[in-house]
Amino acid sequence: MKIAISYPPIVNERGQVAMVSQNRNVQFFKTPTFLLPVVHAQAATWLRDLGYTVLWDDGNAQLKSFDQWYADLRAAAPDIIVLESTTPVMKFYWRLVNQIKRDLPTCIVIMTGYHSMRNPQETMAQCACDVVLRSNHVDFVLRKLVPFIDEHQNWRETCDQEGLWLRLGENDFRNTGNFKQVENLDLSPDVDRDLVQWQRYAYENGNYLQVPGTYATSVIRDCMFGKCTFCRYNGPDLTFSIRSVQKSLDEYQKLIEVYKVREIFDDSGVWYRGKQAREFAQGIIDRGLHKKGVYFGINTRFAYLDEETIKLMGKANFRFVLVGLEAADEETLRRLNKGYLPHQAYQNLAWFTKYGMHPHLTIMVGYYWQTQAMLDLTVKTVRDLMFRGLARTLQVTICTPLDYTPYHVECVQKGVMLTDDYNDFDMSKLIVRTPIPHARFYEAIRSMYGVAVHPRFVARQVRFLASGRKRDWQFLFTYGWRALRRVRNHIFNLTQAQHSPPA
Amino acid sequence: MPNTPVDILTLTHARTTARLGLVHRVLSVRHLTEAAFVVRIERNDVPATAGQCATLGIHGSGINREYSMYAGEHDDYFEFLVRVVEGGQVSTELQRCQPGDQVDFDGPYGQFIIEQPRDPARKYLFIATGVGIAPYRSYIRSYPQLDYTILHGVRYLSECYERDDYPPARYRTCVTREDGGDFRGRVSDYLRAQPPAPGTICYLCGNNAMIAETYDILRAHGVPGDQLFAEIFF
Repeated sequence: MKIAISYPPIVNERGQVAMVSQNRNVQFFKTPTFLLPVVHAQAATWLRDLGYTVLWDDGNAQLKSFDQWYADLRAAAPDIIVLESTTPVMKFYWRLVNQIKRDLPTCIVIMTGYHSMRNPQETMAQCACDVVLRSNHVDFVLRKLVPFIDEHQNWRETCDQEGLWLRLGENDFRNTGNFKQVENLDLSPDVDRDLVQWQRYAYENGNYLQVPGTYATSVIRDCMFGKCTFCRYNGPDLTFSIRSVQKSLDEYQKLIEVYKVREIFDDSGVWYRGKQAREFAQGIIDRGLHKKGVYFGINTRFAYLDEETIKLMGKANFRFVLVGLEAADEETLRRLNKGYLPHQAYQNLAWFTKYGMHPHLTIMVGYYWQTQAMLDLTVKTVRDLMFRGLARTLQVTICTPLDYTPYHVECVQKGVMLTDDYNDFDMSKLIVRTPIPHARFYEAIRSMYGVAVHPRFVARQVRFLASGRKRDWQFLFTYGWRALRRVRNHIFNLTQAQHSPPA
Repeated sequence: MPNTPVDILTLTHARTTARLGLVHRVLSVRHLTEAAFVVRIERNDVPATAGQCATLGIHGSGINREYSMYAGEHDDYFEFLVRVVEGGQVSTELQRCQPGDQVDFDGPYGQFIIEQPRDPARKYLFIATGVGIAPYRSYIRSYPQLDYTILHGVRYLSECYERDDYPPARYRTCVTREDGGDFRGRVSDYLRAQPPAPGTICYLCGNNAMIAETYDILRAHGVPGDQLFAEIFF
């Protein structure tokens, strides 16, 4: 059997490309940004290891037009096509699936991704796909499902693997129940970098200070905290799974010694903490990987990593620390179930900076309760953190109610949703009613991004040069230009958004 | 949203509203073994559903960790069963707490709860390793009418924390490193030999490997995925 794991190029009317990957919400980027979909890449590797022919078919990273991508897919005529989708591109995907089923009628189309997994019956009804995976463990499910399909002609009626919606007829579906929440991640193989053409993802990614960079196989699948109300990693049927430290260290060693990567990022919802974090950092040191000039990056949350652990991570050459600062007022943090307070953010950021790391803040604005005072406090806090040198880079996004998260449910129940058009859920504009005009949020975003060119911020980066760390020189002279390009992209998005408010 | 199913919009997302930045006083610390203890703190009228968790940290430390409720939802205090992590800042500092010390409390959070605890027709199997038994004690103290069995996997009998809190007929131990329990071996070995009765709702709480393995055993014995709920402790 031939299996295509496919990411079609999706270009919007502004010429921006949709970045569908990693089960994140889709954002459209004008500046090229390529993220390796790690779990799907593990699935591809596993299926190839089982003897199947696997077509790694990322039209975005392979720089194809849609027409070229589609023509190539038709010519390849796979037996199975696996697609990953999220809310803002659902309508596109439904049309695409129907087109595929017309042109390749014997091809089995499998839908994955958070939107369809949360509402599988909708996708079954809206398009001619054959299977919807409810599980986020795409690799584990496909590892069993594909051989079953291969070996059983009546697989639709007989497959009892949990977490599937299977098509029996036009309006006749079969639900095999809840999916397995926890998997032993050590059983899933490391991503075969050659199979997924890793170098296509190694350069155009704003998280890298040095290239080539790559994403490691995530040590935590989903999020070990998992309580934030706006986040897709929250739900009664979700928990997390964890990969062993030693297996992850083995992969890092291979990436550095065989593939010669210069920066490795782990996109786990939240990376290890405590004992595992210390074991990992110590393992990097014990293997001498901290002396290879390679930087390591992670996602974390405030209040998870203590100073001793951060100190060890600094010694191990960790650099990029992505951490969510969703707001600076306690009311919002409480409503979002964030579990930290603003003063803890200051304290944690001071530790990261003290040990040479470059914290990257991800800020959100536009909650349906957010007042001008709350917004002003967030802007003031972010500017203060950046001017003090406690954070190096930032990313501001508009809080968009993601399908069936507690925040989304709350917005629906409170009647504050301004649209039900899935295309509007692309985080380019506010889609909830707010106590203050939407324009204030866009102004706030511009104000926060404006820090990057503020003389105080630039002066602070110059002062960092005194540390003598190579990374600070790289940050100012290499990364600065790329960062400015990305700021311009975000401001472009928002300028467009203000001209096309939701209905 | 078009075609939004009602069951999704009515999912039980956190029945209680989390509090943030509260400071609670420690009432007591019960040392169960060298590596495990129960910390009891003021309730301060914070509502919670049995099985939820909260984050605790020493006041002002800047670091916190999630711990599942060990007390019942109607108790006038909170309790948390804590395993001491080697080198772990939060657990070791909590272990040293004295009555009157202050801890930062955020929460409660989480969905590892019982949906219909008062349905007498439901039978529950609560499977835990180590301190993963904590949320089950919370259920049992909150819903005395529950028809349940606990299957508790431990290394040594001393880790059968406060076993007198459970009727002997409802508490089964699987002990891996010494004799004297109900079963010598792991919970997974026990379940292979003695699978639950059909219709039993199974909860799994413990380490990743135990949950992943036990889930497969239960599925192989016909327990449907919709009757399996898991929460990782590590």
